[in-house]
Amino acid sequence: MEAYLVAILIITAIYVLLSLGLTLQYGLTGLINFGHVGFFCIGAYAAAILSAYAGLPVIVGFLAAIVLAGLAAFPIGLIALRLRDDYFAIVTLGFSETVRIIVTSEKQLTNGVQGIPGIPRLVDGVGILSALAVLAVLLAANGAAIYAFRRIVASPFGRMIEAIRDNEEAVKALGKDPARFKIQVLVLGAALAGLSGAFYAHYIGYVSPDQFNPLVTFYVWMAIIMGGVGRISGAIVGTALLMLFLEGSRFLRDVMPFISAVDMASIRIGAVGLALVLFTLYRPQGLMGDFTRRR
Amino acid sequence: MKLVIENLTCAFGGFRAVDEVSFEAESGGLVGVIGPNGAGKSTLFSLITGFLAGQGGTVRLDGHDISALPPHERARAGMVRTFQVPKEFAHLTVRENLMAAAPNQSGENLVDLFLRPAAIRREESAIAARVDDTIAFLKLGAVADVPSGKLSGGQKKLLELGRVLMTRPKLILLDEPFAGVNPVLIEEISGHIRALNADGIGFIIIEHDLGALSRLAGALHVMDRGRLIASGAPGEVLKRANVREAYLGGAA
Amino acid sequence: MAFWIELVIAGLVSGLVIGLSALSITLVFGIARFPNAATGDTMTLGAYGALIGHRITGSLIAGGILGAAAGALVGVLGYLLIFRQLARRSNVALLVASIGLGFMLRAAMGVAFGHSQSVFQLPLVRPWRLGEVPIQPNDLWLALAAGSALMVVFGVLYLTPIGRRMRAVADDAALARVSGISPDRVMIALWVLAGAVAAVAGMIAGIKTVVSPEMGWDLLLPAFSAAIFGGIGSPVGAVVAGLILGVAQEVATPFVGFTYKIALAFVVMLFVLLVRPRGLFGKLEGAR
Repeated sequence: MEAYLVAILIITAIYVLLSLGLTLQYGLTGLINFGHVGFFCIGAYAAAILSAYAGLPVIVGFLAAIVLAGLAAFPIGLIALRLRDDYFAIVTLGFSETVRIIVTSEKQLTNGVQGIPGIPRLVDGVGILSALAVLAVLLAANGAAIYAFRRIVASPFGRMIEAIRDNEEAVKALGKDPARFKIQVLVLGAALAGLSGAFYAHYIGYVSPDQFNPLVTFYVWMAIIMGGVGRISGAIVGTALLMLFLEGSRFLRDVMPFISAVDMASIRIGAVGLALVLFTLYRPQGLMGDFTRRR
Repeated sequence: MKLVIENLTCAFGGFRAVDEVSFEAESGGLVGVIGPNGAGKSTLFSLITGFLAGQGGTVRLDGHDISALPPHERARAGMVRTFQVPKEFAHLTVRENLMAAAPNQSGENLVDLFLRPAAIRREESAIAARVDDTIAFLKLGAVADVPSGKLSGGQKKLLELGRVLMTRPKLILLDEPFAGVNPVLIEEISGHIRALNADGIGFIIIEHDLGALSRLAGALHVMDRGRLIASGAPGEVLKRANVREAYLGGAA
Repeated sequence: MAFWIELVIAGLVSGLVIGLSALSITLVFGIARFPNAATGDTMTLGAYGALIGHRITGSLIAGGILGAAAGALVGVLGYLLIFRQLARRSNVALLVASIGLGFMLRAAMGVAFGHSQSVFQLPLVRPWRLGEVPIQPNDLWLALAAGSALMVVFGVLYLTPIGRRMRAVADDAALARVSGISPDRVMIALWVLAGAVAAVAGMIAGIKTVVSPEMGWDLLLPAFSAAIFGGIGSPVGAVVAGLILGVAQEVATPFVGFTYKIALAFVVMLFVLLVRPRGLFGKLEGAR
């Protein structure tokens, strides 16, 4: 039971990093990133390839995951951030699908659909202690991310990205270039997703393309919408709710074994869909309130 | 600073919203642009400030052709506009709106943010002092810490003016500063404009309502269906037959 | 040479699928003003509808009509239950809701039809030969089906009063409203057309390959790409761009491999947005 609980907390902490990235991008800046999973995937594969194939130290894989995911965001931002926001959404969605196609196709590098097994654990050993150690590292990473996040929100930079979210034209009229801010936010959020991916790869020990389908992006969207966009607390609460939902659906199958695994997957997708629709219709600001700045 | 526009033109489909408009404005001057609804006044502002790309004509600032510059660079050159419908940063307070407008903040640079926190704190307090002055000047003290989305229409107009002032502009383009504003506030805004004008800031003001503007402006340009139909001193321009017909004829 | 001609023909057929789905997207984008991410799953629904209709009646035409009706029905229901309530909200709210709707459709079809792939049971027909080039009679029938769907859409858009109103709303929604055009009627007509066209595209895709609950989602990216390439809001552009993209994908396959076909759609989209955001036939404002 304890082991199960720790495992859930680890996955939650990995997802909180994703949610924080998206909160920075959408909640604060208004960027509709529908390709979050693409950056997560780049981070996971970078860590997997460098540690499992190249045998490099884990820390190298982590750094590469952060840098490569951030770098991947740069050209996307250059091309798409000068466009209307719904175009940006489509471009990022296409980006994440393209990343998945690339990791499926570049068999020499990624082992194609079979995926990469044998990614070393972050902490050796099997018992609950090693799991707790992993959790501790993750919590430290989350703490650092939240610290940086709060520093940014409280700064002139944070003020400006919220101004951009509220009214981009007015920002231009005041002599500031919104694209310059938006691209930095995109890169930062992508780097966080890359970090999250590295943790994921080392924790699960195995990566394959089907772990990185667009559903993951919308899990994260659901989390921040449920939690209330634009706040750290919202990202954390929403992610916890998401985990409750994902794990709860697993329990449901234990109680009702006549539901097949694939049907359960369908029901999960349907529930995410229903939640997205109901929240946009009835609770557009999520459960934790609106965009108004609170530090 | 001197602004010269020549033959600015903008068409949507076959409809010419702005048709070969030319005039000049400079620091210390106060020019009014009037005309009936749909005459193309706001479109003209968007062309001057780069929010719309037209189909011809040039915009020159102190002799430099800035027709190809994006809007934020034109604003940075000292020519700053407001909007007919105020575009406040609704979730930010009045104070934060004004802080955000201050130019050249090193705290807007992520690297500096983490490497030079002390310098940024100093800069922030300097900006905060200027914001206090602006709030006092515009008498917005009572709502300084209210999210700006909750302000009244007139207060939003004042806030927009305040934000523009924070950028240290040389030429301000006001789009209907008096629309939807009560008469007392109109007098107040007029007073601010006169004071700033006396300090050497130039104004171009679009107004639908003639009263307040004709008392302020040194020169009026009258637009009708995209074209400039008259220019000159207010008293003289308003007497012209074609102006009365285009602008007042519908109402009389 | 014959090899390339074969590829071009295959490209034209898949181009019809892309073109029809892009047409559905561009109609919604132009008139209801948001990118409808449920288009892919509406295509899947059309494919299943046609599959069932074909199994019951043995007629592909009846199947196609059933599929198109199912697509139109889901389009109208989606409008009445969801999109109409969001009409005054940002396009982001509509986009998120359309993704939710798509997920729900996919889930329902997954539960209802299972996750194994289904195929249309069509008799094998010996291909005709045009010189050295084999031509599948089925491809011609599919082209005919796509052509008639296009004729219906363009006929409605350009020859009927409701089509004229739809175009008026696409040009200027505010102006259309003040001139007394009922938004509800226009919107229902729009969603009937958009749903039915997407469904026909799904049916063709299902006949050419296999039918599965995920098929539509995989076709969404090329569809968006073609809608942008053609110019958002331009029906002709969507179809032309779809055909170009379909042919480009097939002709590129020998060079880039099968799996990169969809990636090519993404590259085309980026390229168009970079050099000409308004696409082939789009309006001047728009993308920015």
